[in-house]
Amino acid sequence: MPVKLLIQLSWRNIWRHRRRNAILVSAIAVAVTGVMLLNTMMRGMQQDLRNTAIENLTGHVKILEPGYLHDPGIERGFDILEGWQNTLPDHVAGWASRIRVPGVIMSERGTRGIQLVGIDPARESISFLGQAEVAGDRLSGPEDSRILIGGLLAEALDTAAGRRLVLVTQGADGRTREAGFRIAGVYRAEIAGLEKAFVFTGLAALQRLLGTDKITEISIRLDDEDRETSTIAALAETFESRAVASWRQLEPQAAAMVEVSDVTIYILFVIVMGALTFGLVNTLVTAVMERLRELGMLRAIGMRPRAVVAQVVVESTVIMAIGVAAGLILAWCVFSFVADGIDLTAFDDSLASFGMRPTFVPVFDIRDVALIAVLSLALSILASFYPARRAVKIKPLEALRR
Amino acid sequence: MRQYGTVTGRSQRVVRHVLAVVGLAYAWAASAEVTARGLIEGALDLTRGTSSYTELTMTIHRPAWERTLSLTAWTRGREDALIRFTAPPKDAGTATLKKGDQMWTYSPKIRREVRLPSSMMSQQWAGSDFSYNDLSRSDKYLRYYDFEIIQTEERDGHTVYTMDMIPRDDAPVVWGKETLVLRDDYVTLSQTFYDQELEPVKRMETLAVGTLGGRTFALAMRMQSVDKPDSWTEIRYVAADFDATVEDSLFTTFSLRGR
Repeated sequence: MPVKLLIQLSWRNIWRHRRRNAILVSAIAVAVTGVMLLNTMMRGMQQDLRNTAIENLTGHVKILEPGYLHDPGIERGFDILEGWQNTLPDHVAGWASRIRVPGVIMSERGTRGIQLVGIDPARESISFLGQAEVAGDRLSGPEDSRILIGGLLAEALDTAAGRRLVLVTQGADGRTREAGFRIAGVYRAEIAGLEKAFVFTGLAALQRLLGTDKITEISIRLDDEDRETSTIAALAETFESRAVASWRQLEPQAAAMVEVSDVTIYILFVIVMGALTFGLVNTLVTAVMERLRELGMLRAIGMRPRAVVAQVVVESTVIMAIGVAAGLILAWCVFSFVADGIDLTAFDDSLASFGMRPTFVPVFDIRDVALIAVLSLALSILASFYPARRAVKIKPLEALRR
Repeated sequence: MRQYGTVTGRSQRVVRHVLAVVGLAYAWAASAEVTARGLIEGALDLTRGTSSYTELTMTIHRPAWERTLSLTAWTRGREDALIRFTAPPKDAGTATLKKGDQMWTYSPKIRREVRLPSSMMSQQWAGSDFSYNDLSRSDKYLRYYDFEIIQTEERDGHTVYTMDMIPRDDAPVVWGKETLVLRDDYVTLSQTFYDQELEPVKRMETLAVGTLGGRTFALAMRMQSVDKPDSWTEIRYVAADFDATVEDSLFTTFSLRGR
């Protein structure tokens, strides 16, 4: 039996029950829209988590002394090899070498534990500091011995730009170093928690205080994050005895959340579309039962069972395809309204505890569209199995006698 | 030869002359500065001497309660000190050792001495209004501050100096300024700590001056936060022995535990 004829039969059959099929198609469309929109949110959240984790002074890849993560301090520092940058692959967006040591900061009215970070300000475009708003001055260079503190820390210590704070940390020789530092500026970070965590000063100035010429980390940001694995491999060769770690290892919590939301997307899809599949089965069974006489007649005049099955499958697939297409188009329309981002400033505090920004930007991923299309078609074929069996089981004689 | 001798003799005399004049001018110019610095050194040494043994009481007053503790302190030079609480029984045995830059505390309850991390140095000492820094700072003054006598007045037959002590830019000192009021016999009358807006934050005042152990010094002092008039800590000297022989073995973490 020619395929064209089969499709024609199924198509006409669908149009025989316009209202019933229209309801089914719109149910599918609404479900697909919902799933797809939820999907864009999840993807947006994933991207947000990933970017936050990476800009949080982590980068895609970081080079550390082994053991630094368990016991951070300047004694876990290392020397930079001359010319190591030449071994970097082309798709590196930027890198920064830093010293990052735990310390204590004191004002007249408070004391807080912080991470003291020595930076070359020109290199920090790869981290959140590059975009952060700063009240007062930024650091002028690695020689700048003033400090940059976060807004929340400034509030906690009741201080402001231009005043002095006392920093205490451990020097390279293991002895306590304490010194007064003038505050150059106060930065604001999108993730409020960072403001309490990091105090920045010039890298060379910090090296002088600690009595060392080593650094504790090199952070590398990539243009193309899919090249992460190859970059790690290349760097591991250059820095033989150092640990070359991916952001997934350094920010395991964020990485786990990204993975969990991946799985969540599939689970949501299966639940929603699974429920709809029963609706589809129901419609198809009804369609078959209504056409008992007709199908019996077709069988009697020589239609093969295979063709009957094919008819039901095509019918199911067409209904699903129309529904999914309509759903995806609707989802795109809704998405384009919120593509610029949703303002969630009202929930700022609770979001920040998850490491998320107050403005939420959903992401419409073409791979998810393909995924939904393929999975839906697979479901529609699965759904047609039972109705098709019913259709094949029709005995022409019994059907004609009705 | 003789000629040489004469020339030598004359030039020596000239050199001696010049040196004398220069030295005199130097002493003159330096005297103002030396006085400020000398006053502080004198004040630091007054209650310490090269070594000292003192018994004190400390009264901590809060709006809801007040308690008095007794303690014994030994010092050696400007850097080393051992302070041990003797009463009430709840606190007896608790000790603090300062040696150079470092500090340890010992608590008999946990039977362990703890080296104080720098992060704790600005915290309260034994729940009082004194911070660990207040105990240890002494020698910091000479290293990190610029001094200036801003006022001199006569009071009760003594010359009283009011001194501004301004920490240098890189000094590990949070205060914007401290003012010290000293008598010409090095007795501290008051000390005020200012924030960097030059608003006073806390103040230590001498309540009584007297003679103990052969020296005249502030026998009672009160430390108080400016914005909390109901909370203060008072320290009173009960007994003192200066230049007493203090064994070197006293300033070790071992002796923190006491007997």
